Amino acid sequence: MTTKRWPRIAAHVFLILLGLLWMVPMVGMVFSSFRPYAETSIDGFFSWPDTLTWDNFTNAWDRGNMGRHFLVTAVIVVPAVIITLFFASMVAFAVSRFSWKFNIALLMLFTAGNLLPPQAIIQPLFQIYLRIPMPEIPLISESGELRGSLIGLVLINVAFQSGFCTFVLANYMKTLPKELNEAAMVDGASVWRQYWQIVMPLTRPALAALATLEFAWIYNDYFWAVALIQQGDDLPITSSLRNLGGEFFIDDNLVAAGSLIVVLPTLVIYLLLRRHFIGGLALGANKG
Amino acid sequence: MSSLELPSSAYPSPTAWGKHLSRRQVVQGGLALGASAVVLGACGSDSEDGSLNPGSASGTLTIGSNASDPDPQAGLVAVKDTFPNKDVEISINTLDHNTYQENINNILQAGEDDVLAWFAGFRNKFFAEQGLLGDISDVWEQSSGLGEGFKAASTASDGKQYFMPTNYYTWAVNYSKKLFAEKGYNEPQNIGELLDLADNMATDGITPFAFANDGQWPIMGTFDILNMRVNGYDFHIDLMGGNESWTDERVRTVFSTWESLLPYHQTGANGRTWQEGAAALETGEAGMYLLGTFAASASDALAADMDFFNFPEIDASIGASALDAPIDGFQMIANPSNASAAKELLLHMSTPAAQDAYLTKDPSVVASNSNANTGTYNDLQKKSAALAGAATGISQFLDRDTIPDFAGECGNMFAEFIEDPSKTDSLLADLEEKKVAIFADYS
Repeated sequence: MTTKRWPRIAAHVFLILLGLLWMVPMVGMVFSSFRPYAETSIDGFFSWPDTLTWDNFTNAWDRGNMGRHFLVTAVIVVPAVIITLFFASMVAFAVSRFSWKFNIALLMLFTAGNLLPPQAIIQPLFQIYLRIPMPEIPLISESGELRGSLIGLVLINVAFQSGFCTFVLANYMKTLPKELNEAAMVDGASVWRQYWQIVMPLTRPALAALATLEFAWIYNDYFWAVALIQQGDDLPITSSLRNLGGEFFIDDNLVAAGSLIVVLPTLVIYLLLRRHFIGGLALGANKG
Repeated sequence: MSSLELPSSAYPSPTAWGKHLSRRQVVQGGLALGASAVVLGACGSDSEDGSLNPGSASGTLTIGSNASDPDPQAGLVAVKDTFPNKDVEISINTLDHNTYQENINNILQAGEDDVLAWFAGFRNKFFAEQGLLGDISDVWEQSSGLGEGFKAASTASDGKQYFMPTNYYTWAVNYSKKLFAEKGYNEPQNIGELLDLADNMATDGITPFAFANDGQWPIMGTFDILNMRVNGYDFHIDLMGGNESWTDERVRTVFSTWESLLPYHQTGANGRTWQEGAAALETGEAGMYLLGTFAASASDALAADMDFFNFPEIDASIGASALDAPIDGFQMIANPSNASAAKELLLHMSTPAAQDAYLTKDPSVVASNSNANTGTYNDLQKKSAALAGAATGISQFLDRDTIPDFAGECGNMFAEFIEDPSKTDSLLADLEEKKVAIFADYS
């Protein structure tokens, strides 16, 4: 048996080393976020600290105007994730449960949408948004156009994320036994009821996994936001981090502290849905 | 600069900035003009006549600002607070400096802000000629105390003004006063003395020049100054305007000169931020640092100990009276929601009252108005003003003096050059090809 133990020990040593290596930047970031810039700029980042302080965190919160930007982000991300999953699950339900001659074509259309680089459509999209009038609603739509309104951001995020979600959900739904639907149909359940009360509850693991991913992706978006919103106060939380750096001078410790604050919601969501995240993705991936 | 006394007109001579612009290659914007007219027509709702009649404007006005640093941000609020016409309600829309710069096209077309922070010279003319900016010649007629040089830097090829300059800063060789006093170093007057000084520093175990290039813009300043010292201001501006070849023998001489100076510089510059370079200056690890006066913003200790000298002459027939001194200010969009208020504000921004208010919050720059209060200037500001005032040629810095895409190519080329100067000829040939392609796209 000894011959078989060595490879395992070696593998563990390797994994532990790799784990430590991965930790270095993370720990370094946490460490430097508690130190004043004047100290690390002269002594270096790997020096023994003289001062440890929360100042960077309070400054980052104030300078990044994070309260406001977290609110804006919530207004964008929460509806965007819910609407994306709702629409994608309906398409997925249709293409996986009903045999229709455009099934494959439809699924391909949605999947191909994933491959479109957002940069390619940003200028036409900007011009379209500029020409669509909107009622003026505080916070949600203050510019009077779709450009500059948070609704515009929700729409484009839904449009761009639906493809991937449809793909994953369709694959997942195909693994659910067809007999469930047939039985429901015999019992007289409508299509809506089959979707909402039979298939959707069973799709929960995949939905939870996608919700985690989509939350992180839309939350981290900066590209659509800066291209479509010109009002500094209406930008999402990602802009706060940019605000922490000036024209020339950037306090890296302040940015580290700001990044830690900004990463918290994603971490919380991930930890809450962690089990679904792994289980759901694996299930969706290997359809029979 | 032997005297710190400020000359009565602390702005560059008329010839300096005038020549700078008249020699510019004009970027044609015929098609763009047509397209943007449609866009702006769609969102315009201007019911006023848009004339300038100070004190008569009312309504709301938005300033688009790139002042994301605390000091300039507070400075702009001070400018707003000193605006005498209280019938105008002004709001400030701040984006961080880089995002603002990258998205200026969308910002101009969105039309949310009436008055926008921006850069003088090429970058302003570029948008003026695309029809995206409003003519503010009438504001200039009523303003006073702005030199001809500033006017030229605010004038597009149609002879009208599209920019209101508010302040500027200078690029020079920064050093630590403490270190120079300790070691008995003196400010060099010519390249020979500079090299002697560098040798002395090397003997004393000090790296003569701090050198940083993270982001690929800081060492553009080194190229600018060497080109202006070796070939003169006019050649530099022509080169930036795409009218001279990068394979020209004169450009090659600049790179040979630079190569001979490289051993005096910190190595590994491409991976070092300018702030780390400033830290080397602060700790005395390096003796000199060619950078804008914003180097002082890296730390309070450095700000207190920093001084600078003009990069000395290399060729006596060329002299040392040209330098980079980027001018910042404001422009008005082509179709502002409140043109009379916008012009009134721009007029206010040109006054000593507004500029004094700004400088009390942000003392890292120098006022454009010659009547601004120089009594409150710190030593660095006095020296900057004197340096620019004595200059016969002032450029805006490479990334503001040429097409942005081409500036990026220059940045790549310089970064490769300092890694391996033996490749200079092929790098320059590549850069010339890219220049031809990029300038063809824009003409």
